[in-house]
Amino acid sequence: MSAVAAIGTYLPPWADGGDRVGGPDEDAVTMAVEAGSRAVGTVDRVVLVTRELPLLEGGNGAVVLAGLSLPDSVPVVEQVGGGPAVLDAIATSSPGTLVLAADAQGAGAVLIGPGDGIEPVGRVLRSLPVRVRTADGRQYEDDDPRLVRERGMRPGLARVLGDHKPFAVAGVSRRDTSALCAGDPPVLPTAGASSAVFALAALADERAAGVVAAVEQATVSALYADTGSAVVSRHEPRPRSLPSRRPSPGPDIKLSFAAYERAFDAKVRWQAGRCPSCGTLAMPPRHRCLGCGEEGSATLVALPRTGIVYTTTTIRVGVPGIPTPYSLAIVELDDVDVRVLVTVTDAEPGAVAIGNRGRLVLRRVATRTGVPDYGFAFSPEVAA
Amino acid sequence: MRRVAIVGAGMTPFGEHFDLGIKDLLPMAVTEMAASVDKGFDRDDVDGVWFGELTTTDGFPSGIVADSCGLLDVPVTHIENACATGQDTLRNAVLGVASGYVDVALVIGADKVRETSARSTFWDWMAMTRDMAWDYPLGLVAPANFALHVSRYLHEAPATREHLAMIAVKNHHHGVSNPKAQLRQEITVQQVLEAPIVVEPFGLFDCTPQSDGAAALLVVGEDVADRYTDRPVWVRGFGLGLDRVMHQHKRDMTTFPPTVKAAKAAYAMAGVGPADIDVAEVHDCFTGVELISYEDLGFAERFRGHELVERHDTTVGGRIPVNPSGGLKAKGHPPGATGIAQCVELFEQLRGESTNQVDGARVALAHNIGGPTAVSGVTVLAAERG
Repeated sequence: MSAVAAIGTYLPPWADGGDRVGGPDEDAVTMAVEAGSRAVGTVDRVVLVTRELPLLEGGNGAVVLAGLSLPDSVPVVEQVGGGPAVLDAIATSSPGTLVLAADAQGAGAVLIGPGDGIEPVGRVLRSLPVRVRTADGRQYEDDDPRLVRERGMRPGLARVLGDHKPFAVAGVSRRDTSALCAGDPPVLPTAGASSAVFALAALADERAAGVVAAVEQATVSALYADTGSAVVSRHEPRPRSLPSRRPSPGPDIKLSFAAYERAFDAKVRWQAGRCPSCGTLAMPPRHRCLGCGEEGSATLVALPRTGIVYTTTTIRVGVPGIPTPYSLAIVELDDVDVRVLVTVTDAEPGAVAIGNRGRLVLRRVATRTGVPDYGFAFSPEVAA
Repeated sequence: MRRVAIVGAGMTPFGEHFDLGIKDLLPMAVTEMAASVDKGFDRDDVDGVWFGELTTTDGFPSGIVADSCGLLDVPVTHIENACATGQDTLRNAVLGVASGYVDVALVIGADKVRETSARSTFWDWMAMTRDMAWDYPLGLVAPANFALHVSRYLHEAPATREHLAMIAVKNHHHGVSNPKAQLRQEITVQQVLEAPIVVEPFGLFDCTPQSDGAAALLVVGEDVADRYTDRPVWVRGFGLGLDRVMHQHKRDMTTFPPTVKAAKAAYAMAGVGPADIDVAEVHDCFTGVELISYEDLGFAERFRGHELVERHDTTVGGRIPVNPSGGLKAKGHPPGATGIAQCVELFEQLRGESTNQVDGARVALAHNIGGPTAVSGVTVLAAERG
């Protein structure tokens, strides 16, 4: 017995040729964290559904938990899937589960709570792999949308829904949506895994009960949800044109895994070292207190996630391993005597000025020799 | 401690010496230095060597100096202190002489920046100065370190990008007459302002070039100075100052506390103040750094450094000429050699022999800052023993 307790959505502020796209420092994990941080409540299990896992060898779950400030003992299911898998996860998970859905265009999160508002309607898994990504990363795409519509979507929906016209269908074109749904169906901003959450969010906006279906190639799943008590928090800024950045040839930035591991909790959980003797905060944490010199006894405490730019610069010269231009800022955090050096995100390079306010958000702040390096970045208010 | 004098000074040209390795540049600098010693110099006189270098391109630094310069029978000490390496190498040699440990010290500084491709150099050199987890991966490249300071400075002080440009124009103008300088052409304020932006607020002409080169000084005790010259230059004072390494821990980024600390120590030791300085070589890796350093060295009041530029006080012929050699901006910046080369210029200034002579120069100051912005070395030299 479960219900939709909260829904969070996240869309990156960028579009490329009309399509919503993540910024250069975003991936499925950072977008899932953005959405998940908006579905607030008690979480004892996380399911991350995406086809864009940054690390196939593992490590995504730790970043998700750190970014969401959840204990590192919470189980994280990393599931490869699209919209139907997201609805399946929502329909079958127990209260306390946070279902995260991410794709290249955005992310959604559904926190499952107690109640009886969710009922599975049905699913059918059939094979029509017109889009293929093999284990070695190669992609193949068959351009035959009519075949997919006639032999994938329509028979699948018919099997699951019969004659019933759902509230929304995720993962299909706008034109198909209108033909398939009752009334005036919502226009969903994404087509991948996150689209299932955007469909539920649209239902919740009307505080309604209804059937939501999701389609991926020839696989279809549907659930009935009463979203009357769901809290919805959306971050869906109007998209701006993705600024172009120029890569420079040359070596990658080196990575020390020992340094990566030592820094991880403070960097990805956004925590400073706090001196037990004098209370001075140090970011990054350090052995010897900046204030009183006490050594070796600092404990990690959460840092504020808002602040004001003390100084900034924009790097326009070519930099090997980092596409340019990009901006850096030193930000004074609110309510504490701590400044941080961070990259600037969600803004055109050079758009941030001294005195601008903004939030600190989880981003992939670097990629070093292929390893995603997560940390917090400054997202200015002016850009939102 | 006994007084210490510089009796010889020389340097290679600074530039992109693709045709010369570090093992070529080092002996060339020693030979240039030897030629400046009035009464001649036999390298068997050398009791000890202090060698400043940031990165080695061909292996073990001290051994390379001993081997390439024919100094196999004396101790060689390698000093590395970021871009303050030059002043700190001289400081350590002076301590060796002043203490009586050695009578004649060779001070030599060198770096071969253009030995690897500009691209790999980028991260190799960055890795020396930045935290591997916290700021290195963010792309805090060398100019950005200084740009974060200068952006804040321009926000708080009345100075503008035009003032930075005027410093570039001045130092290029000064470098034209220096046969050892890397960039020997006049530029205009308009050219500086219209040049491509490297790292805001620095355009191409606000930045030092990448350089190779070596410079050497012969440093001796006062009781043996007259064996080498009747016109020694005296090391009157020195200081080395440090600060928090991470910019996020620096309280006020409109100033460089290491410079303030180093200058205070050097002035006190020399028994002089900023008003006594007739000519200075100031670390102008980026134009804005020279501007802020005017204030940190006491040449100008806080946030009034730009007035010196407007009045041309720091141009040769002005009240306190800065960087008559062309500075790092025009002469070039092989980091280990930079501070030593500043003292080569001041040695010539104090003996009235510079190609860009400041009339009546009797007291001079050399300044480095690096780390970036976490260490500074300041040296006061004078024509009088004091």
